[in-house]
Amino acid sequence: MPDGTNDVKNTAPWWGLLFSVAALACNGAFFLDAPFQRLFPWLSLLFAIVALSFLVMGLRLLIARPKLYRRKMLSIVVTVIALLPAALSVLAFVGTRKLPGAAEAPQIGERVPDFILPDTLGKPISLDQLLAASPNSQAPAPKAVLLIFYRGYW
Amino acid sequence: MEKHLAEFEAAGVRPVAISVDAPEVSRNLANKSGYTFPILSDTDTAVIRRYHVLHPGGAADEHDIARPAEFLIDSSKIVRWSNFTEDIRVRARADEMLAAARRLR
Repeated sequence: MPDGTNDVKNTAPWWGLLFSVAALACNGAFFLDAPFQRLFPWLSLLFAIVALSFLVMGLRLLIARPKLYRRKMLSIVVTVIALLPAALSVLAFVGTRKLPGAAEAPQIGERVPDFILPDTLGKPISLDQLLAASPNSQAPAPKAVLLIFYRGYW
Repeated sequence: MEKHLAEFEAAGVRPVAISVDAPEVSRNLANKSGYTFPILSDTDTAVIRRYHVLHPGGAADEHDIARPAEFLIDSSKIVRWSNFTEDIRVRARADEMLAAARRLR
């Protein structure tokens, strides 16, 4: 049993940093358009929680046995650096899921409301026009229209 | 979306994007990104509300925008497939939408 010999390395902050970076990397992974991207938010949250657990554990070890571990300052610096990506990942998880439900939206089998909206040139376009063959093309009328509502760029 | 446009056309599906962006904003986006499918502007959210996909105060400056939502609508204007994400980072994938499109007869 070492008694204040300062030769044990506190690895918990480093594990915390690793999982913290992994949590952040999950957020970057959305750009890959991967098949399992629905899991990424949960994976990110899981990694962030594991990271935070390691960081808390590392700090508790330092506080409980201050003389046992060498390079205490390094451990504290790593903990502080690791805290940011983990915290950002948790905030992102909460923030990006603040979406209203769509229970009242037209469901499968229901008829959608008609509309007329301006296109990028300001020309009004109706749903009927979208479902009809384009006047300046030989292509037949589409079988279906895929309406994509998006948040926009304001 | 644009890179899958030929596949959508082959499946007989016309993609149409709708947001609260003004036509000029969408025009810039289309020019910059090379989008050729229709992009429509619902600046007063009238149609977004009619489809019940409003996200009140959803923009960074807290004005009302659309929540992400996709509807596949057949020639009788009936919804054949839809997707409402629970996380703005998770979007419908082109292959899911194409699979739904190819199931249409």
